[in-house]
Amino acid sequence: MRMRTVEISVGAFVLAGILALVFLAVQVSGVSLRESEESYTVTARFDDVSGLRVRSKVSMAGVTIGRVRDIAVDTEWGDAIVYLEIFGAPGSLTADTSAQVLTEGILGARYISLAPGADEEMLDEGDEITETQGALVLENLIGEFLTNLGD
Amino acid sequence: MLDLLRGLGVRFLNWLEALGRASFLWVNAMAGLPRWTDVGLVIKQIYNVGFLSLVIIVLSAFSIGAVIALQFYTQLARFGAQDAVGLGLALVVLRELGPVVTALLFAGRAGSALTAEIGLMKTTEQLSSMEMMGVDPLRRIVAPRIWAGIISVPTLTLIFNMVAVFGGFIVAVEWLGADPGGFWSGMQDVVELWEDLGKGMLKSVAFAVLVTWVAVFQGYDSPPTAEGMSMATTRTVVISSVLILASDFLLTLVLYGDF
Amino acid sequence: MSDSLIEIEGMTFHRGERAIFDDVTLSIPRGKITAIMGPSGTGKTTLLRIIGGQLKPDSGQVRVDGRDVASMSRGELFAFRRNIGMLFQNAALFTDLSVFENVAFPLRVHTDLSEELIRDLVLIKLNAVGLRGARDLQPSELSGGMARRVALARAIALDPALIMYDEPFTGQDPIALGVLVRLIRDLNKALKTTSLLVSHDIHETVGIAQQIYIIADGKVIGSGSPEELRSSKSNRVTQFMYGEPDGPVPFHYPADDIEFDVISSQDSG
Repeated sequence: MRMRTVEISVGAFVLAGILALVFLAVQVSGVSLRESEESYTVTARFDDVSGLRVRSKVSMAGVTIGRVRDIAVDTEWGDAIVYLEIFGAPGSLTADTSAQVLTEGILGARYISLAPGADEEMLDEGDEITETQGALVLENLIGEFLTNLGD
Repeated sequence: MLDLLRGLGVRFLNWLEALGRASFLWVNAMAGLPRWTDVGLVIKQIYNVGFLSLVIIVLSAFSIGAVIALQFYTQLARFGAQDAVGLGLALVVLRELGPVVTALLFAGRAGSALTAEIGLMKTTEQLSSMEMMGVDPLRRIVAPRIWAGIISVPTLTLIFNMVAVFGGFIVAVEWLGADPGGFWSGMQDVVELWEDLGKGMLKSVAFAVLVTWVAVFQGYDSPPTAEGMSMATTRTVVISSVLILASDFLLTLVLYGDF
Repeated sequence: MSDSLIEIEGMTFHRGERAIFDDVTLSIPRGKITAIMGPSGTGKTTLLRIIGGQLKPDSGQVRVDGRDVASMSRGELFAFRRNIGMLFQNAALFTDLSVFENVAFPLRVHTDLSEELIRDLVLIKLNAVGLRGARDLQPSELSGGMARRVALARAIALDPALIMYDEPFTGQDPIALGVLVRLIRDLNKALKTTSLLVSHDIHETVGIAQQIYIIADGKVIGSGSPEELRSSKSNRVTQFMYGEPDGPVPFHYPADDIEFDVISSQDSG
């Protein structure tokens, strides 16, 4: 009988561990079931993506609609290629959608904000967003300002 | 001067020899996979070292989570960034405090008990008699305890993490009035499954191996006297604590080392 | 098949600088009770550990049933030990198991017997030592003599060819002592088991042993049947056999001359 208590206790212990793991995965790290659902990838070129990371948010009108899947550099052109994973089926973004790297909150997390255009055509898997604006880098702005001042 | 150097040399050699013996112990105990018949033994040990450590883990986790939330809240409130309490708490707990504090508490609660238990078995010739019965005490006594530690410490760490986040939530949201939406979403945006939780758990497994290894070796290697055993239990706690903290630094360097 | 189960030839064993055994040669006959005697601290227990393969001699050979113990691999050694039962000085019962489980332990790990068969065997063994009624007790609830009897039941659980007793009589009250002496003799008779007894209790040992070796200072100083030893010419043997405090085995631990020692310490004080 005593052995049964031991086994039940250990079972409860391991179960508590598994529940904790699920809690930490879902509630704390925010692993959502959405990611296993359908999504498609579009690319965008930026002149500067300082501070942007893989898994950064992609949002439209403040609503998260995707994540940054990968960031690469094009050495030929000297700009950055960002792969955006957009949730849902292709057909949600117009072909003339514009993308912008913005800063969120006090900690300065970078994210990509998309603004819809008016085109009839829609972006498909692998298409590129051509209308982009890179991150504003404070040092560059100040440098520009000082140069203008000198003129 | 020469005596001092010689003394150091002797100590170093003794230490090396102990390390060698400890390695043999570990390899001999863990050689070969655990057999199915040993599962019952492992379960019994998980009860002893894991389940019985739950109370201290839960209590510590709750108060540590609460204190961190309190500190973060008061500091971050000055910048109006109360929403960042959740993510700060989660990162600190998942990456560092969860694995490290759990392992330290485990060393004090279960490691010392393991040493004393094995030391007593040795003193009362239980290990010898088992050997003379043709049963290898390394496989029968030591291995189940090491496996139980390797299963229990990460499980305790998971529970610690959850309770600490919960404790922080109680303080920041329920008591100080931070926004629950900001608390959770700030966390979910920044915390990553592998990068934060996964690597923290990896540390936890490493600590588990270290603590149980030190504990069983100290018990197995202690002189069979009352004094030898009390020294061995003390050494278990001291050595495993130092090893946890030192290896935590190394592991952090290796796991997150792209500074 | 030779008459001796155990043959030790020219065996030497050192602990640190000290020679525990120096070129010891002896043989233990099959089916009889043999006693190894000698003053405390002469390494009698060490001898049992060498025979059981827990310690390796520095030189010489230890053969059990014709096989060299020192050259066995770890696996062979553990298989070999199934044929040996050993009774430890302080019983060495597993404190986390009940009396029944203690006796069942060797059966469970070494055989695939059914639960009912194990139960029967355990009860037979416990009955042999008169403790069938104590099967549900924990080792902490047993007296020293009872614990030793349970340990004996455990040692004979697999019907070993050799039983080794390490100081079975030390620290027992007269009744427990009588019980143990009878048990050892009965087991030897009933099972035809070779028994090797290590002891310094002359009275009890002489009563049951058929052959005795006396070891002192790492050497065999006398051997033979109890009667032969009693009438031995060697005064070292007679000193031991009759328990005289001083003799060739000195009363004093080696030291400087007492006058020199005492006076010089007064000088320095």
